[in-house]
Amino acid sequence: MEKLNTKPVFSVSDFIAVVNQTLEYAYQSVEVEGEVASFKVSHDKFVFFDIKDGNSSIGCFMTVWQLRVPIQDGMKVIVSAVPKLTQWGKFSLTVKSVRPSGEGALKKSFELLKSKLDGEGLFAIERKRQLPTIPKHIAVISSIQAAGYADFIKILNDRWGGISIDVANVQVQGTSAPDQIINAINYFNQQENLPEVIVIIRGGGSADDLAVFNDEPLVRAIASSRIPTLTGIGHETDESLADLVVDIRAVTPSNAAQILVPDKAEIIRAAYSRVNSLLPRISQLINQQKQSIDSLLIKALDSINTAVNDQIQKISNLRGVLAQLDPSVVLARGYALIRGNISIGSVIEVETNKVIINAEVKNVVSK
Amino acid sequence: MSSANKSISDKTIELTKMVEWFDSDDFTLEAALDKFKQAEKLATDIEKDLLSLKNEIQIVKQKFDNEG
Repeated sequence: MEKLNTKPVFSVSDFIAVVNQTLEYAYQSVEVEGEVASFKVSHDKFVFFDIKDGNSSIGCFMTVWQLRVPIQDGMKVIVSAVPKLTQWGKFSLTVKSVRPSGEGALKKSFELLKSKLDGEGLFAIERKRQLPTIPKHIAVISSIQAAGYADFIKILNDRWGGISIDVANVQVQGTSAPDQIINAINYFNQQENLPEVIVIIRGGGSADDLAVFNDEPLVRAIASSRIPTLTGIGHETDESLADLVVDIRAVTPSNAAQILVPDKAEIIRAAYSRVNSLLPRISQLINQQKQSIDSLLIKALDSINTAVNDQIQKISNLRGVLAQLDPSVVLARGYALIRGNISIGSVIEVETNKVIINAEVKNVVSK
Repeated sequence: MSSANKSISDKTIELTKMVEWFDSDDFTLEAALDKFKQAEKLATDIEKDLLSLKNEIQIVKQKFDNEG
């Protein structure tokens, strides 16, 4: 008796569909790390490349808009993908996202995108806008669980008050982080009551963690924000493309708060210092006036003394003249004073320095 | 600037003008003591205003993932 064949017979299309269902069931999403080879973009829409290691290679497919960071042949990447058998029976990975892997690839990708965006003028100094001197309404994009966010808020509260702070709680690492940050930027830019500045905050992390801020669509979203932007991402030595495109870059979250608002303690100190500086000023002016008055008094006294001395001198001179006119002084020099009628026979009185003589006039001759 | 901040700003400007008066030709010793007392009060007011201001934080309810 002929044995019945119970194995299903598929059409080719059905078989490929069943394989894809099985693959989808087994590997909803896989991450595969390898080196990029044969990278090419077709019609500015589709991206094809192989990902390989020492022994094996798999073809990859994705759309241009899914490619958020530049990649090139030889670069080590991690692809997040769905395995698929194509209708031509070729096994490939349909890539949802790709990110550089390892320091070298991250750096290479960073430099490629930096060069591209710099060429478009996105980092130009002329594009940079000033932040408000003291904002009253700001938007913060960060993870509220992150230490960097806590640092920012603490320093902000320590330094200034009266600010309305709208916080968009987003992921600041991982594959969904760039889109969340972009959505938050767009959200704030669409508000009727626009914040005066958008602050993007994230604490320190590995180069891989911070690669979120090298995402091309995110960099472009920051560049197109109509609200001025400020970043406080990572540490002083970390530099992301988001840092290059924002209006003002702070080196840390704490530094972002320092840039954003003045320090009220310093303002209070300065106010008191200015007031206290007035007291020596008043004392100085009082002393100046006192010196001026003293000087005037001395001058007045000098004038009085001079006038008095002048008078004394004049009196002294007059006394000298008077002394010369004293008759006894003339008599002392040997002269005599004659009193009486000068006529022959009359008796006259002759007074010398020492005696008085009565004498008779014997003769009178005109000179 | 909020009204409170504006007030601080106004007071700071007023204090600046008052300090400048001491170096101006308008300065007189007779008026200096009153001006000094006013400046001292302004500094105290600025301190009080600054210390009383608090920030208000609102977490936006909107979800920012692409599904939100």
